[in-house]
Amino acid sequence: MKPSLRPSFTRPWPCIASNFSTFFFQLPTPLTHARNITQIRHRHIHSSPSPPPPPQLASSPPPLLPLFLRPPEYTTTVSDLLEWHSWAKSLAASIGSSFEDSDNGPDSTLLCRELNWLMEDVLDGSDPSLMHKAVARDDPDTIISLKADVQELYSLWKQRIDERRPFQYIVGCQHWRDLILCVREGVLIPRPETEIIVELVGDVISKDEGLREGLWADLGTGSGAIAIGIAKILGNYGRVIATDLNPVAVQVASFNVERYSLQDKIEVREGSWWEPLKGVEGKVAGLVSNPPYIPSDDISGLQAEVGRHEPRLALDGGAEGMDDLLHLCNGAASMLKPGGFFAFETNGEKQCKFLVDYMQNQLPGSFCNVNTVSDFAGILRFVTGFRNR
Amino acid sequence: MKVSMAIQSLRKSLLHRTAYLGNSPSISSFLKFSEFAVSARPRLTVTSNATLKWRTGERKCRWGDFCSSNSAHNKALGSCFYSNGVSASSNHNGSSYLELTDEELMKQCEMGTFKASGPGGQHRNKRESAVRIKHIPTGIIAQAVEDRSQHKNRASALLRLRTLLALKVRNAVNLEAYSPPKELLQILPLKSTVRGSDCGPQIGPHNPKFMLGVQALLDLLSALEGSVSDAAKLLGLSTGALSRLILSDDSLRLAANELRASKGMKPLK
Repeated sequence: MKPSLRPSFTRPWPCIASNFSTFFFQLPTPLTHARNITQIRHRHIHSSPSPPPPPQLASSPPPLLPLFLRPPEYTTTVSDLLEWHSWAKSLAASIGSSFEDSDNGPDSTLLCRELNWLMEDVLDGSDPSLMHKAVARDDPDTIISLKADVQELYSLWKQRIDERRPFQYIVGCQHWRDLILCVREGVLIPRPETEIIVELVGDVISKDEGLREGLWADLGTGSGAIAIGIAKILGNYGRVIATDLNPVAVQVASFNVERYSLQDKIEVREGSWWEPLKGVEGKVAGLVSNPPYIPSDDISGLQAEVGRHEPRLALDGGAEGMDDLLHLCNGAASMLKPGGFFAFETNGEKQCKFLVDYMQNQLPGSFCNVNTVSDFAGILRFVTGFRNR
Repeated sequence: MKVSMAIQSLRKSLLHRTAYLGNSPSISSFLKFSEFAVSARPRLTVTSNATLKWRTGERKCRWGDFCSSNSAHNKALGSCFYSNGVSASSNHNGSSYLELTDEELMKQCEMGTFKASGPGGQHRNKRESAVRIKHIPTGIIAQAVEDRSQHKNRASALLRLRTLLALKVRNAVNLEAYSPPKELLQILPLKSTVRGSDCGPQIGPHNPKFMLGVQALLDLLSALEGSVSDAAKLLGLSTGALSRLILSDDSLRLAANELRASKGMKPLK
């Protein structure tokens, strides 16, 4: 009953992405890149003796264009689509709570919700209503257009369940704040918690016009989420530099920046932490970052979607998870202008408290109003503060 | 291939994007018909287009410890963007809640997501973008789970909160010198004899202003002990015309019938 699987394939970006299409195509497998970079980074910053093992590769190359941006160039009958949907749903149902029990992964309920979102992305704009009408009329032979071949949908959902490939990599995007950000292997999927950083910046610039008009920097930008969120709330003021060590992230962030027409406002630069900020020392109005902060020993126990598929470069913060956060704290004072604001995401209460203590006792006089902020689940998540005037 | 079964299952998942409304806690002084708030089964749900439906509890939601129990959290959030403006309750009545901007209304609310299981942040990819907001002055809770983004779920939850405030919070009405407020006149059919020509075309359920009229209508019904015919007289309509208006919107019909049931009257059909 289940059609045979064939590997997913790639096709050109539509004209919206013409400038960036070449980027995505010329890249070798992004995970190979990430591995090399991890080695470089560990030499530079952590002096870690052995590089981490490479993340497990997906069995077929990931489709490079996010589903929702693809042209609806495939057609199928409602009954074929429903047959896939019903197969996918029973596969999701068969999981029960086994992923949740083994590594706190998604349960069937969440997987079924993801299946609905996949349907949203794969149906062309007007076709959901066509679909509803066909369903209401009980007319399974209605032809509808899709953004992926039905065969590819089988393959994608199999990857989701069998390989635990993250849903966001399957559809190629993450809904974050009011944005839809393209993501792919090699780039950290922005988390809901991180949305708060943009709110914190919004609060600060509403009280200080000087900061609103200044230069902001998002270090380790990944998909460009925080930089784009900040650029949008800055409105007609200020500008943003977004940096990342990983060229895949630089390209994905650039693509997202361009998709939101923010290329005049956000400059994406490649390089490690302070390196791409040479020339603006002491001039930065605000510094934000969601750096890698998971202790190295915890990486192997991560939820499969995260540990097997997301870039270790963006997760592993060294032995205590603090290597990059301390690097950021140490450099922030010389990078920020007097009165400048910083906000960093951390692993939780322990790191937050350590950093507050560190800044007060090891970097006395550098910062003021150093504070911790919780995420919406009530976990202390962010450290914020200002450079002394 | 059982297409019809698959169609059924898809219809369920695509057509019913619903979210539960939580139980309403103890502050019931605003709630004339608090049984509306106290959850019975089947539970009351609000769909995305803000109509109320009864629905058996087929989807399980895990709402854990709400973040209000964490004082550090509240303090931190209070200092930045979502403060808990309890003080508003003393000088606000229901209609003025609806006049608040989203930002002002949010300041009277606590917001939480799922209970944290594990360290969260980079550790986790479970798309737990569900949002639950609690309106402190009234204790009304609205939730949204169906969207992928926390941002959109928050907006949906806030919209649902506005609907619930209109439906649940009753304001006193002076029947001695009653004159229908403009919001109410605007939702009445044009044949109403008290409706002036300056009210413009009739506002329907898809207009966000409709809920303001619904609130005023429910206030009047409540003051008249649920009597549709008495309300119709004050609104320059026949009893049948007002009944049709009430029955035209699911949320209004359910709220009106709850109100009538609490006064020992038969439901409108």
